[in-house]
Amino acid sequence: MRRNALGILGMVLAGTAIVAALAAPLLAPHDPLVGDFAQSLKPPGTAGHPWGTDQLGRDLLSRVIYGTRIALFIGICVVCLTAVVGGLLGLVAGYFGGWPGTVLMRLVDVQLSFPFIFLALTINAIVGLGLRNIIISLAAAGWVVYARVVRGEVLSVKQREYVQAAAALGMGRARILFRHVLPNVLPSILVVASLQFSQFIVAEAAISFLGFGVQPPTPAWGSMLSESRDFLYVAWWLAAFPGAALALTALGINLVGDWLRDVLDPKFRA
Amino acid sequence: MRIPRIQVVALVALAAALLPAAPAPAQDRAKAKEVVVAFAAEPRSLLPNTIVDWTTNNQLEHMYDRLVDRDAKSYKPAPMLATGWKIINDTTWEFTLKQGVKFHNGEPFNAQSVKATMDYIKDPASKSHYTPRWAQVKDVQIVNDYTVRFITEKPWPGLIDRMAATDFLPMPAKALKEQGVAALATKPIGTGPFKFVQWVRDEKLVLERNPDYWQGPADLSRVTFRYIPEFSARLAALLAGEIDIMKDVPPLNVEQVDRSGKAKVRATVSSRINYLALVNLKPGPMQDLRVRKAIHHAVNVDELIAQVLRGRATKMCGPLSPLNVDYTPKIECIKYDPARAQALFKEAGVDPTKLQLTLDTPSGRYPLDKDISLAIASQLARIGIKTNVVVNEWGTHLDKIKNRTTGDMFFLGWGPALEAQGTIEQLFQAKPTYSSFGNNATIEAKIAQAVTVVDPKKRLEAWAELQQLVHAEVPWVFLWQQHDLYGVAPWIEWTPRADEKVWMYEAKVVAR
Amino acid sequence: MRAYVLSRLGQTVLVVFLSLTAVFFLARLGGDPVLLFLPMDIQAKDLDEFRQRLGFNDPLPVQYGRFMAGAARGDFGESLRYKQDALGLVLERLPATLRLGLLALLLTFCLAIPVGVISAMRRGSVWDYVGMGGAVLGQAIPGFWLGLMLIYFFSVRLGWLPTGGTGGLAHYVMPVLVLASFYAARIARLTRSSVLDILGEDFILTARAKGLAELVVVAKHTLKNAAIPIVTLAGLETGQLLGGAVITETIFAWPGVGRLTVQALLNRDFPVVLAAVFVISLTYTLINLLVDLIYGWIDPRTSRA
Repeated sequence: MRRNALGILGMVLAGTAIVAALAAPLLAPHDPLVGDFAQSLKPPGTAGHPWGTDQLGRDLLSRVIYGTRIALFIGICVVCLTAVVGGLLGLVAGYFGGWPGTVLMRLVDVQLSFPFIFLALTINAIVGLGLRNIIISLAAAGWVVYARVVRGEVLSVKQREYVQAAAALGMGRARILFRHVLPNVLPSILVVASLQFSQFIVAEAAISFLGFGVQPPTPAWGSMLSESRDFLYVAWWLAAFPGAALALTALGINLVGDWLRDVLDPKFRA
Repeated sequence: MRIPRIQVVALVALAAALLPAAPAPAQDRAKAKEVVVAFAAEPRSLLPNTIVDWTTNNQLEHMYDRLVDRDAKSYKPAPMLATGWKIINDTTWEFTLKQGVKFHNGEPFNAQSVKATMDYIKDPASKSHYTPRWAQVKDVQIVNDYTVRFITEKPWPGLIDRMAATDFLPMPAKALKEQGVAALATKPIGTGPFKFVQWVRDEKLVLERNPDYWQGPADLSRVTFRYIPEFSARLAALLAGEIDIMKDVPPLNVEQVDRSGKAKVRATVSSRINYLALVNLKPGPMQDLRVRKAIHHAVNVDELIAQVLRGRATKMCGPLSPLNVDYTPKIECIKYDPARAQALFKEAGVDPTKLQLTLDTPSGRYPLDKDISLAIASQLARIGIKTNVVVNEWGTHLDKIKNRTTGDMFFLGWGPALEAQGTIEQLFQAKPTYSSFGNNATIEAKIAQAVTVVDPKKRLEAWAELQQLVHAEVPWVFLWQQHDLYGVAPWIEWTPRADEKVWMYEAKVVAR
Repeated sequence: MRAYVLSRLGQTVLVVFLSLTAVFFLARLGGDPVLLFLPMDIQAKDLDEFRQRLGFNDPLPVQYGRFMAGAARGDFGESLRYKQDALGLVLERLPATLRLGLLALLLTFCLAIPVGVISAMRRGSVWDYVGMGGAVLGQAIPGFWLGLMLIYFFSVRLGWLPTGGTGGLAHYVMPVLVLASFYAARIARLTRSSVLDILGEDFILTARAKGLAELVVVAKHTLKNAAIPIVTLAGLETGQLLGGAVITETIFAWPGVGRLTVQALLNRDFPVVLAAVFVISLTYTLINLLVDLIYGWIDPRTSRA
């Protein structure tokens, strides 16, 4: 099945990223933070620097490798935060309905009416720049999707006979929620998470562009890409390698997400 | 089947959109003597004497003239709308005004205009930034049509320096009274070399030559300011020949611009200075002069200039640059000397390898600012000091400096710095907003005295002494004067100025 | 129907009110607004005087009350930076953003829906791979980077298109493309999966069995049913489209609301930020009201409560 072939490609790409992240100290030829600025802006192929160096003479290959850590860290943190917060809110709102549901939906509206870039800028202006704050602002914007999806799922699961039956048998609400409803909702949370993961990595680049990203010297791909503007037209490699790393990783995770979707959703087994 | 029809419409629209655009190409602009200057931002107001902002005033000065200018070479105050000035007594300055000058609406420029302008500045309703700057002026007296006197509260020798900037651009008295401030804000009426044509918000400001300009008409028939916020897009516009002049070409792109054939880089040493403050206004290792000195010895300024800035900066040894009219050459550079640094640390009883310092830096405010800060950190690392570089958004950076919550060091630029008072009074006392160094009783007493000295020679001496006192305290790692790099189309003859004034009256189109 | 629209309008007011409240307090936590628009040689005493004059020294609840009272009358105060009516500044730039946004939306639909439908219909074919590969790539490339590359190739190297600003139709090409790219990628993927969803449903199988030409099946049933999630997403994402406009407008020197808002945020120009939030959240909720009405029109069965 060709669908599986794509899934495998995705897993290879994502796997490479994971390996690079875990084994960064072994793979990277240099310290990503320390450079010799006598060696600045050397093109790829320079002895000792296969991918060249940046404006401060730091080894680009090492920075890209360590960047994998940052990217996956951002992705995982944000996805966990948003899935838990958004998922729980959606679960509660969907299951209990009534005013919690209404309040949640209005909150979602407020959140959605305010572009997340503005939200990220506002949050960063308050709490300062840096990796932690990027994660906070991305999470603050991302929970909405889960809340909506989960609430919808719960509403439909609630109508199913066995859930109704469990309630009729006097099973506690919390117990029904976690024993019967949650397992049914988990696959959609998983799918949304895998699809959102790559979006967050790309979003970090957008925030960096506006000057609010992960701050140097931390080697985040988005900020490296954004910094490469200063050397646009003179050092193409500074844009090309982090850009390719970002695009390939995002591609890989997306493909895995698609594959997961097909596997978890029996309708698509053609 | 609706969708395909929409697609057809869209395809047609796209095809139409793809037809070549028709912005006037550079050759046509050269022939018509029209120049396009790109800035990052539009003016914050078209009212002069209201907002202190480089971009705003630069554009305004094409329509309004100063009362007193600065000489383009020596940067000393020079006549403009005022033909001369003299000190009557300690608190009275008298200005003689140029006769026969007319505003764009035909109204004559005279003593009334000067008085009305000061009235506007001092009126709280104007909410002008210049109100506190002219607070020391008690009154403007009209002696006759072309003579005015400025009466100050206390002796104020700095008045002439204040005047020789964008702090006083005369406005038409009659128009101000009859049409009101709002009218002047939408359609400026000045005495300057160009007249207002059109302002499209966030897009462009168009000006045309004033044929009756009192210094003779400009060579350019039309000046358009275009606003391109993103600097790499601005550079692209220059390389594509869409704009003719831009400021701040990145040092690394100089060669590429020169090779493009669309523009050449013209560089000037700016009066704007960059420094690394060693903050003593909060507790920490920087309280100790020996530590400050050691840090200075550990930073290799020449290497930073050569490697990071590609030579596009001029090293400074004291708090003032040679462009500053109050500069004294009698200051010796603090040399790069890691051994001396180690010795000083030992003397101070500080182990540099246990030192953890924090350096605050803005990003994108000054040429390669963040990269310089990172490079300084790695230089300090060579003698074992661990430096944590914190990159701030500009507003946060200012907040931190004002609230004294920066780390032990911060990076900042200051300017245009053409006279001593604006730098020394502002940056080496405990109280001023953006200061990093203070609580030195001798220095603060000397400053209080220096600002009241009226005699030019004694004044120069007072500031020279202060420069030496300040230098001995090592309040900063003295870095450099920026080089301003302008990309200029080859058919324009224009020399950039050190005071950052981009004035198209000084530009000419070269016949080719 | 009328009652429904009225209650939705009531909710709109609530959402706008909540957004303004949230941003008002968030923004005030951010730092001193006065520093950023005053010259650097300003003294502490004068700083305080300015702050006093602008009312920033009052207790926060007092400021909030004053702001809300003004906002209710459409008065958001004067921009700190530009000394002009804040709402006026925003509204002045709204048409430019709307023109850009609508064109991007149009392009998105013209591109993404056919791609999504074809990918679904010819699942596993080359078309599917090319279409979806493009979509995934579109999502993986940061907009600003795409924009800068387009400028480099089409303006600097080839000289075909202007680097930015407004003017003729040519000025629209690159900004619209960049703005549409991310959005189109998502819509294309969503279209594909909702078409796949519907294709598996019983009534389509029945229709096929009845021997209707496949094209008619797609047109009549699939698209109509698949349209619901697509329209929903389109509505929900208008807010994010505006976020994308920030970057597009900055790169292409487009005189729009997004660029103004980011500048205002960076400069802590609160009146402008709040006026922009007002306009943006109002636009957003109204668009979503419209989407819900379109819903009812696409699928009269959907009862709304």
